[in-house]
Amino acid sequence: MAELQPNALCFGDEFPASGMPCLVQIESSGLTVTYALNHGGAESRSESVRFADVSVSAGGLNHDQLVLQWVGAAGQRTLYLKNPDVIRAFRQMAPDHMSRPLEQAAEQVRQVRQRHRVVWGLVGGTVLAVVLGLWFGSDLLVELAVSRIPAEWEQKLGESAYREFLAGQDVMKDGPAVDAVKEMTQRLASQVPNNPYRFDVTVVKSDVVNAFALPGGYIVVFTGLMKKAESPEEVAGVLAHELNHVLQRHGLERIIKQLGFVAVVSIVLGNPPGLGGIMKQLGIELMTLKFGRAQETEADMTGLQLLYQAKINPEGMITFFQRLAEKDEGRVEWLSTHPMSSARADHLKAKLAEMPKQQAEPFSFEWPKVRGGLGMSSSSAP
Amino acid sequence: MKSEILYPGAFPMARVELGNGEQIKAESGAMVACSPTIDIESKMEGGFLGALSRKFLTGEKFFFQTLRASRGAGEVLLAPTVPGEIVVLELDGVNEYMVQKDGFLAGGDGITIDSQMQSMSRGLLGGEGFFILKISGKGMLLLNSFGAVHKIELKPSQEYIVDNSHLVAWSTTTSYNIEKATSGWVASFTSGEGFVCRFRGPGLVFIQSRNPGGFGAWVRQFIPVSE
Ligand SMILES: [Zn+2]
Repeated sequence: MAELQPNALCFGDEFPASGMPCLVQIESSGLTVTYALNHGGAESRSESVRFADVSVSAGGLNHDQLVLQWVGAAGQRTLYLKNPDVIRAFRQMAPDHMSRPLEQAAEQVRQVRQRHRVVWGLVGGTVLAVVLGLWFGSDLLVELAVSRIPAEWEQKLGESAYREFLAGQDVMKDGPAVDAVKEMTQRLASQVPNNPYRFDVTVVKSDVVNAFALPGGYIVVFTGLMKKAESPEEVAGVLAHELNHVLQRHGLERIIKQLGFVAVVSIVLGNPPGLGGIMKQLGIELMTLKFGRAQETEADMTGLQLLYQAKINPEGMITFFQRLAEKDEGRVEWLSTHPMSSARADHLKAKLAEMPKQQAEPFSFEWPKVRGGLGMSSSSAP
Repeated sequence: MKSEILYPGAFPMARVELGNGEQIKAESGAMVACSPTIDIESKMEGGFLGALSRKFLTGEKFFFQTLRASRGAGEVLLAPTVPGEIVVLELDGVNEYMVQKDGFLAGGDGITIDSQMQSMSRGLLGGEGFFILKISGKGMLLLNSFGAVHKIELKPSQEYIVDNSHLVAWSTTTSYNIEKATSGWVASFTSGEGFVCRFRGPGLVFIQSRNPGGFGAWVRQFIPVSE
């Protein structure tokens, strides 16, 4: 006889506890089980069972094996089938009265597998949700961290950067240009409810087209930017935008984003003054912080609102932004930290169109004198 | 392929005789000595990802060693890291065993090793981690234990309760549920003993007479804490 190729395990009183390897063959009336009596299966013994005598269930470690039980001449037999071919053959040949228990066994296997999949799916989903939450929720964490930093500390940070920067600059101490910028800032700031900042403005003599606001309310306007302006409303537009970067604490948000998640957590849990040291180490310069698109939009919108409340014509802001963004205007430093897009101007125009018309109130200074103070001809054309 | 356990007891060693061309897979580091006809190669069973997942998920070694009698018949001496018994099982193609991660020592060439994901409750509470090894195929399987190995033979529907940290291997014809050993949940988590497996036959369950985690804790109390 050829060597027996077992395809199932049979348990019974005289068999070893690990089960007796056996060959199961399915026939129309029942099944024949052949056991190897010695190693290699040179001698074997067979046992035939009718379907009518067999009971069916699911069993094994993962409930994925078909368990057949019957009482034969040698006592109780328990047969474990896991070979898919044998299981399929059994299901095909088994008479109708067995289809119900078979279906129940199959259903049990499906349920176990389903439960397995659902649980692992839930775990996988949770892990994914946490990862995505950290990814997209980082903005929320940044906001949380920013809200933990007191305004006084923000002012200290801004002030030290302000002093350091101005020490190397040619500052315009007085004159019509300085008075004009101060008046604009005053008018805008007076419209801010519960303003925690005392805005401080300095005009710097430089042809660089730029203006920036440091955390805590320290504002620098370059004469180069003022020279590009065709009206005081245009300068006021930039100031309104900058003031709102301060009020919305955008600088801090940027710093914290650059410092990363660990810094955010340490600020939320610990004390903020350590941040200055980290910034120094990383060489983050407040003046060169580039704002994000969402921050620009926010500063634009709130800036427009502020201009409106201060009764300054907001058209100046829009025309100035558009003109600055035109290519032939040469290098405009301001745009490198406040990325401009055509959508920004369109957005502002749309917002302005929604606002009810109002009569703007003029400034107390004379614009031609301001231009004269900047060393330009007093005609309004550039 | 023939095997023999030398020095049975706490510090045994397995001697495996390989015919010309035969090979055996062993846990890397298990090889103690061998004939000059044997070539040793480190192989990543189940490909790189398989090996990687085994490494991180079961804590199993990244590589298995393959010891091949490529230059003529010879013998290999194998020993586990921990003191404890070695048992030899003969797999006939229909028997399958689940083996906890430190229990595998070596297997013949016809043996297949799979990392299998457990159900959530078994993975969380069973103490063997979420992945265990499923050993199937045909040939010789060498298991090792911490302490002595005790074999529990279960008849169909017969039940037995085993502390999960003492499990080594069990047949896939058995099934088990995780249960808490003591009556209160707080006690289950704090006593460390915690959870037990209620096994249901038929099949074999191999357990070890010592608990590696418990032994580790016992040793740690004698190690002076620096600073
Ligand atoms: Zn901006």
